[in-house]
Order: sequence, then C-alpha cells, then structure tokens
Amino acid sequence: MLTLVPDGSHERTARLALSLLAEPGDPRVADDVRRRGPVAVLDTWSTQIAAGEDAGYRSGDCVAARETAERLLESPQPAGPRWVCPGDAEWPGGLDDLDEVAPVQRRGGAPLGLWVHGPRQLAAVVTRSVALVGSRASTTYGSQVAGDLAAESADRDISVVSGAAHGIDSAAHRGALAVDGVTVAVLACGVDVAYPRGHESLLRRIAEDGVVASELPPGATPTRLRFLSRNRIIAALATGTVVVEAALRSGSLNTANWAGGLGRTVMGVPGPVTSSTSAGVHRLIRDGGAELVTSGTDIAESIAPLGSDTATWVEGEHRLVDDLQGADRVVLEALTVGVARSAVEVAAAARLNVEVTEPALGRLLLAGLAERTGDGWRLSRQAPLALRSH
Amino acid sequence: MSLGRTRAVTLEGVRGRVVEVEADIGSGLPKMVLVGLPDTSLNESKDRCRAAVINSGETWPNRRVTVALSPASLPKSGSQYDLAIALAVLAAAGAVPAEPIRDAVLLGELALDGRLRAVPGVLPATLAAAQAGCRRVMVPEVNATEAGVVDGISVVAVRSLAHAVALLRGEEPPDDPPVEPLATTENLSWQGEDRWSGLDFADVRGQPAARRCVEVAAAGGHHLFLEGPPGAGKTMLAERLPGLLPDLEPEASLEVSAVHSIAGVLPADAPLVTRPPFLDPHHTASIAAIVGGGSRIIRPGAMSLAHRGVLFLDEAPEFACHVLEALRQPLERGSICIGRAERSATFPAHFVLVLAANPCPCGLDFGKDARCECTQAAKRRYKDRVSGPVRDRIDIYRKVEPVRRHEVRDELGGVEGTSVVASRVAAARARQQQRYSGTPWRVNGEVPGPALRATWPVHATGAAWLEEHLAAGHISARGADRALRLAWTVADLRGDDRPMLDHVKIAYALRLSEPLPAAWPTDLPLAAEVA
Repeated sequence: MLTLVPDGSHERTARLALSLLAEPGDPRVADDVRRRGPVAVLDTWSTQIAAGEDAGYRSGDCVAARETAERLLESPQPAGPRWVCPGDAEWPGGLDDLDEVAPVQRRGGAPLGLWVHGPRQLAAVVTRSVALVGSRASTTYGSQVAGDLAAESADRDISVVSGAAHGIDSAAHRGALAVDGVTVAVLACGVDVAYPRGHESLLRRIAEDGVVASELPPGATPTRLRFLSRNRIIAALATGTVVVEAALRSGSLNTANWAGGLGRTVMGVPGPVTSSTSAGVHRLIRDGGAELVTSGTDIAESIAPLGSDTATWVEGEHRLVDDLQGADRVVLEALTVGVARSAVEVAAAARLNVEVTEPALGRLLLAGLAERTGDGWRLSRQAPLALRSH
Repeated sequence: MSLGRTRAVTLEGVRGRVVEVEADIGSGLPKMVLVGLPDTSLNESKDRCRAAVINSGETWPNRRVTVALSPASLPKSGSQYDLAIALAVLAAAGAVPAEPIRDAVLLGELALDGRLRAVPGVLPATLAAAQAGCRRVMVPEVNATEAGVVDGISVVAVRSLAHAVALLRGEEPPDDPPVEPLATTENLSWQGEDRWSGLDFADVRGQPAARRCVEVAAAGGHHLFLEGPPGAGKTMLAERLPGLLPDLEPEASLEVSAVHSIAGVLPADAPLVTRPPFLDPHHTASIAAIVGGGSRIIRPGAMSLAHRGVLFLDEAPEFACHVLEALRQPLERGSICIGRAERSATFPAHFVLVLAANPCPCGLDFGKDARCECTQAAKRRYKDRVSGPVRDRIDIYRKVEPVRRHEVRDELGGVEGTSVVASRVAAARARQQQRYSGTPWRVNGEVPGPALRATWPVHATGAAWLEEHLAAGHISARGADRALRLAWTVADLRGDDRPMLDHVKIAYALRLSEPLPAAWPTDLPLAAEVA
C-alpha cells in the first residue's frame, strides 16, 4: 500500500548525508532543511554539486555521502554509536527550539541529527537535566564546587550535561559519576574520538554509564567553530545551564548566552570577587542574566516548573531573642548580668513605664532569661547561652 | 713513670671539644681525686672506674690517684670519660703501654664488671677528634659504626676494659659477650624509613589545593599552616610531606646524625640518618622536649631532631605559648641556642614547619552551614594563640575542608602518588641548587628577602602586581617577600626560568588560602584548544 507521509528512513539517510557534507551548526542549512525537508535539500545539493555550483557552506560528493549514510544506517555496530534525528523516539524535542532563535556568531539552528553513544536514551536522560559549564583553566575552588553541584544534582535525579573538556567540565562529569548519577557529554568531535586525550578513560566511563553525543560524524576532529556549535547543543539539551567559573571572555558564557536565548534557566556560581576566573559569572549575575546558585537544592528549585520544587533555605541560626516581642526585648536589653536592679530602675533604663515593664519582666522570668534576687532583677545566668541559639 | 695521659671529648651542643685526661699516681693515702669541673655524673666515674679495673683482673693503685681533665675551666659532665680515666690510670700505673693511648681519643662508659657501655654523641665526638687532628678513637663496640662514618680516623671497637687492655698489650682479646645498644629505637618517631615508609601521597583523596600546598612546601622548604576541622586530612597531608623530600645530602646527613647521636636515638645498625626526619611532638610536650634543654647535659629537643626534615605541630593552638614563641628563633636563624646558668649550647634547627589547627575551639566552624557554637571572643582567643610573629613566618596558609563523598569515590581524578610528586620536587630542588650555588642557601624558603629582590627579581609585571596589593594593604611587606619566594618555587616546579605575573598570582593565592589553578602544574590545557 502506498503511503503519503515521507518515508522516515529516507529522511534519516538524507539528514545523515547532509551532516557529512556541511559543517554542523550552519544556520543556512538548518533553515533550508526546516523549510523544504532534508530529502529535497539533498536532491538540490546533488544537482548543484553536479553542476559545479558552490553554495559556500558544503563540500564533498553527494553520491558518496548518500552511500556512506546508507551503509552506516543499514549496518550499525551493536555497541557503537547510533544516529538519532528528529522523528526518532530518542530525539530530545528541546533541540528543535534552536530553530526558533537567531544565530549567534553565525552558528545556529537545530542539528540535523546527533550521534549518540551509551546505554541510555538521550531524550529520557535530559528531561530533567542541568548543564554545568565553565572554564577549562578552572581553579581548585571551581572544580570542587562543580563536583559538589554535579553530585548533589545527581542525588536529586538530575542528569549532568557538559562538554568533557578540562577543568569545570571534567569535574562535573566526575562528580556525577562518583555518586552513580547520569551524565551526558556533548563533544565537538566524533563520539569515538578521545579529546582531550587525557580524558579517554573519562569518556569511556561516560559512554558506559551515561551518554556521549555529538552532531559530528565518528572520527571527526574538533575545531574552534565546532566548539561554538557544540555549545548551543549543550544549552538546548539541558533544562538549565549553570556557569561555574568563567572569565570575561570565556566560551562557557557563549553556552549561557544560548541557554538564555532558548528560554532555559541560566544560573551562575559566584567565586571570590577578586578572581578573574569568576569575573564572567559575576558579570552575568549582575546583569540579571543568571540566577545565583550555591547548591544542588538551588539548582533543583531553579530548573523545576514554577512552584513544584522549592528549595529549603539554610536559615541563619535561630536565637531565642528573635521570638521576643516589643517591650520584652527592650526590657531584656535593659537588664545587666551582675548587678540586680529594681523594676523602677529597669523601667527607667528601658525608657518604659513601670506598668509595662513589670509584666515584661514576668514573661522574661518565665522564659528563663531574667532572674529575681530579693527585690531586684537581673539577667539570668543561662541567658547568654540561651540567647545564642537553641 | 707515674703519669698517664690520653684524650676524651666533651660536647657543647653539637660541637665537641677535645679534653685531655691526665692521671697521676702519687704518694699519700689511697684516694682518688677528680679535678677539672666535673659534675655529679662525672664524679661517680671514680667509683665505676675503680670497680671496673678490679673486676677486669687489674690492680687499682693503692695510693693517691689524681685525674685532671683539662681545660680545667670547662665544665664537664657525662659518663663518656670512664674509659679514658680508667686507661689513663692503668697507664700511669704502668699496667698498659702509655704511648698508644697518648694521642688517641677514648670514649665509653664502664659497667662495674668492666663491660664498655654505649654513650650518646659518639658521632659528633669523633668528628671533633678528627678535626683536632686525632688519628685514632677507641669507642664501645655498639657505637663503632657511628664513629666509622667519619673520614680520616681509625676506629677501634672494644667490648670491655679487659678487651682494651689486651689490645694495648698485644694479647689475645678475651671472649666477652656483646653489650646492649643504648636504646631500642624501633618506636622512635624520627625513624622516617620505618613508620612512614608505607605512606603514599595517593592515599589523600580530594584536597587538590592542600596537596599543591604540601608539594610547594616540599619543593621550596616553605613553612605551612593547615587549618581545618578534625578529620579533614591535615595530619595525613603533613605525614606525607617528608616522603616528598629528597634524600639528605652527605653533609646534611652528618649534621642530622650528629644531633640524633647526642639525643641517643641513633640506631646502632644505621649510624647515618639519610632520610629527612619527621617529628610530631604532642601538644602536651614540655618546652625542654621541643626546644631542647636539661640542667646538666643539654639535650636537643624535637626542633633540632627535625633538623633538615619536617616538624609537625598538630593542634598548634593547644601547645603552650612559650613553646610556640620559641619557634621564632629557629625559624629565623635555622638554629636554636639554649642558655643555662653554667653553659649554653647551640643546636641546628633548620626544618620545614607544618602547623595544623582547627578553625575554632569546637572545630565546626567551616562550610556554608557552620554548626559552630563558639563565641566570637573564644574564636579570636584560639586564633591568637599562634601569635602574629610566628604566623608571619609561615609562608603558606591553607584552609582544608573535609573531603566530599564524591571525591572519595572519584576514580577518574588521576591522584598522583608520592613518586610522581617527589620527582617534580627533586627537579625543582635541582633548579634551586643550581641557582643558589656559591651562596649559603639551598632552597627558596631560605633566601632572605633583600637578596631575593636584588639578585633574583621576579618579572616586572609580577612585581608591580604584588606592589599594588601591598599598597592596598592586602598583604604585609613580610608577606610580600614570602610571596616572592613562593613565586620562585612555583616557577621551579613548572620548570619555568623566571616567575612571571601568573606565578606571582599563584604565590599570592598560596599565601592567603585563595583558590589555586586546578590544573597546575600538570595537565595544563593546550593553548590551541579553544572552547
């Protein structure tokens, strides 16, 4: 029986072929695909490339790309990376939001698809997730806080998304892994490429327990442009983005920028105000572009739908004196530790009437704060202790 | 001939002085007189010598015996003169040839049966004998390895007085049993190799900043203050510091061994201390135990036993105030002078000081939800116990927080072990040694501020940056000097030729417990990688 809906497998092949021909994150390609569909775009490109036309954003052989795509899709490696694109159950809908925002630094648009490696379903993993990003040249403070936040988020079943780079990124991944949490690494190279090289074992662990994703085909190497494109995917995948440490011209501010543009929650962790490594975050918070977060609880509250998860504030210590009302408090201040004074003297010291002072002294006596000696009043021995906290 | 003469050594601190021992047998009632300012322990030598001589089968002169120790004005104490006195008397009596012992130095304490017991300080005494031009020493057998360390002197090891007499007469030595060494040293804390050999830097989980601080302290010989709650790992970190230090150089090894010899803690089988010692006296220790002292014999304290090693004062504010204040002299001069009414002694005391303290008396004042209940006044009092002048001499200050759960379980962090860090420290120390060759200094921590600024200035950008913080009052002048020394160590650890702005910034952070670069000094991100 003939079907009128476009063949899903054709579309997947076309998207994969296109991704092999064009640099990822090119808004012109994304725009074209969105308007005409990947199959039509690939047909057009075939014709144009055959005719020797150069659009300026693609290169290669259309026929070969299509064949490669078909081969990759027909015989996937059992434990290897898989191609996930719009229409697949595993496709995170949040990525489509990228089509709705303007390009930044000539990068933008929803990805044609993603190469995904790991046992978990990408869409399910990122429904409640936070991106932890920051400087590669982090400080011990930043790395520690990133690890803390990742572990605390993972404890609350929030997946941790990051870029597997040095510094904050790796601390975030490791923090989540250490508490058996779920973490997603989005790379600016093929999912099978260990970059940075020192993170080979980290990436292997993430691929075993979490998800490694990239819009670049396996084997692709990272470039400056690809890092910029990758940032938009991190921002779009996660429910919210936390910048832990970023200098004024840090790439992680680019991620925060994307997250803000996409309407995601942007959060920032403050550092010492004297630290240049935190200056970018401080600017972001001051400009109102980011909420200040200091714990996993803060993050859980910030990324939750309005009112559904409220952070319990760590209160300053509670003091008994906080409960005292009006005159009682004034009278308490008028009492001294050593010398007992008569009610009249206390009233005078408190600048109150005796009629108000006497009942107040009675209440303080009951609260154990005042002490009666003969006909005088003074502060009880326990008062300083009780006033401090309870 | 009724005069016998030989030599012994008296010790003042680690310096020894050769003492001439003369015995005269003259007419008069049987009596023995000892002159030359002997103290009680030395006066008792008369009775020990007499009994030992008789019990060794020799005859004690039945006349008036006068033994003089000269220089006569120098006070003398201890039991190491026994052998010299006994043989001088026997030589005077003509029982042994006088010539062989005339220029030899004889050391050892006699038991009543004639056994020759070990004495402390044989190594520095032998050194002094060699320096005085003496060619031969006769020492108790158990101290022989110790004396044998000294070059250019022949050591005669004897088990007993009878053994010594037989050797001098050229007879077959008697078959005496071996004598016990001075002390069993298995449980003495400075024995770096034994108690601390199993410790590895990789045992410390988390604490990236504190680990760096320990590494810098080891590389540049900088003093370190660790502040944190109980269980944060302060002691773990401090105990692993000596393991990062290179073996002692021959000269330093001799210095350290001499001090340990005087304290009587040098093991008989290992006369040379080759590893930097680690001393961690308890906070209840007395000032004499830590500084050194004693009324008759001045013994070195923990500060001197830690010479060329590490002195760790855990719970520093709990130490008695005068003990902490006594740190000032060794921190400034590298030695400690102990004065008593009759004499004074100077011991070397050049160590890396590690102080550990809780953040407050209850120890809970840390983190964002501090549960501390100490009053502000109590906290201030606690902090003030380590006084400003002592704090000012500490180079690195670091707050340590308890390790987090995820840090303990993190297997991908790539924690470096002792061998990796120690090799970086060794390389950094080699650079310093080369730079400071021909000067009295070895490591950055020793170089005085003016010399550092004049001869080895940091790059102008770094100096200007530090100047700004000095002007703003963020750091004291002395603190700025310390930061310059630290900047050099940071550069040495990274293998850079001269401290630049970045090194100075790291030094500043080390001094004020500010965050350090997480990736320093290894795993620096590639400049080409741009995110």
